[in-house]
Amino acid sequence: MAKGYRYFEAIEKNVGLLGFLTLVMVSLGGLAEITPIFVQAHTVKPPAGVKPYDPLRLAGRDIYVREGCYLCHSQMIRALRAEVDRYGHFSVASESVYDRPFQWGSKRTGPDLARVGGKYSDDWQRLHLMNPRAVEPQSNMPGYPWLATASIDGNDIMARMRALRTLGDPYTDADIAGAPKAVAGKTELDALVAYLQGLGVLNDAPQAGAR
Amino acid sequence: MSAFWSAWIMGLVVLNLGITFFLFLWGPRVEIPTLRDGTTGHVWAHGVLREGVRRLPLWWVVVSLAMFVAGFAYLALYPGFGASRGILGWTSTAELTADRDANAANLAPLMARIHGTPVEKLAADREVTRLGERLFIDNCAACHGRDAHGNQALGAPDLTDSDWLYGGSGDVILASILDGRHGAMPAWGGTLSDSQIADVANYVKSLSGGPHDDVKAIAGKPVFATNCAACHGQDGKGNQAMGAPNLTDTVWLYGGSLDTIETTIRNGRGGTMPSWRARLGEDDARAVAAFVYAQSHPTAAGTRD
Repeated sequence: MAKGYRYFEAIEKNVGLLGFLTLVMVSLGGLAEITPIFVQAHTVKPPAGVKPYDPLRLAGRDIYVREGCYLCHSQMIRALRAEVDRYGHFSVASESVYDRPFQWGSKRTGPDLARVGGKYSDDWQRLHLMNPRAVEPQSNMPGYPWLATASIDGNDIMARMRALRTLGDPYTDADIAGAPKAVAGKTELDALVAYLQGLGVLNDAPQAGAR
Repeated sequence: MSAFWSAWIMGLVVLNLGITFFLFLWGPRVEIPTLRDGTTGHVWAHGVLREGVRRLPLWWVVVSLAMFVAGFAYLALYPGFGASRGILGWTSTAELTADRDANAANLAPLMARIHGTPVEKLAADREVTRLGERLFIDNCAACHGRDAHGNQALGAPDLTDSDWLYGGSGDVILASILDGRHGAMPAWGGTLSDSQIADVANYVKSLSGGPHDDVKAIAGKPVFATNCAACHGQDGKGNQAMGAPNLTDTVWLYGGSLDTIETTIRNGRGGTMPSWRARLGEDDARAVAAFVYAQSHPTAAGTRD
């Protein structure tokens, strides 16, 4: 067995070899866990009837990302009874096929929003975004009053739609050309409410519904 | 999962576990050359510290072996080794279904009691109203408040009083929950002048005996009769068939100040109660209706805890 020691000695005394072999070992987990799903992600097909975000909802989605809503709200209903009873059918990959990047989130200070669309009225969403305490006295969510006065740039939305088309979203030329008209006169608050009211409704893959 | 990716994962798992398990078995057996004093010759701190050779502690060997056994057992029992489904055939969706079935079985006697039973009768059943209260807090409290007193900022009605927009019978409450309601007061800003709006607002205020300007109220009466009475009635007592509120009481959906009344007349109101049929289903909605009914009928036994 005295020979075996030579291999250990070689690794211990050659930092380059040690680094390379360490890299090999720590890569194995990632190669097994990440690579297959990464390749499969490109094979996820949108559910029948699900279209990419219309211009107003696309603007709303970007505001959702900009304001960091994902830091406190998930959009990922796990396959656990307590979640399915409260929020509806568990989330599936095809629902977020047009989300770039997806908004699954990783923690909940507020509730999950994957199927919040239609749960409350538009008025409620507006009031709640302006001042959450007006509807829920115990809420610790910040208000977003500036959204009500910020307007949306239609040309900017067109550019985003073109960018998404290069990534494979099936926008037509007419869709993109119609963007400035679709967001004309709308505020960021309108866009965010439109986005929220579509969550779990317009991208509905499985049949939603609590208990 | 395709055969290729299954093989890919299996190969990596075998490689990883193979290397580590081989090292675990072989490494401790490798003989380490030592100097005459029993140390390896590796020194630190200018020879103050010298490296000796000791056997691995038994606890370390036992814990490591247990880790390997746990890993092998996990891969055998659960999905993880390529496309293998594991001996137990476990899936997250099957576990979810089993959990929900067990819960449904648990609730079955209660739900059987609720199914099709008149809301008025359920309101006296504490178990039902407690279920209803839980669902109310989760779904309804966002607008109506945890205490069910409503929210004038939204026009969400107080559910604890005896004033009902659409009617307070169990069936009507249940219908409101299942199918939602949409208030449809049109905007009169384009039709009526500012002074007419002020006149009508004063007239409306006078109906419930609130502080108002008599001259304006008298001027507002014919305007009300022409434009508002179709829904709110000539006497202003409202119409539950279309959810037009009674204006002669002191209950205000959006607030009863002259300013608020003028805003309501000028811009109209379209308060929306969403439909809960898809989210709750009829039986759960019935439990919520029972809880709501009990709030305005405190003599019914099922008031909150």
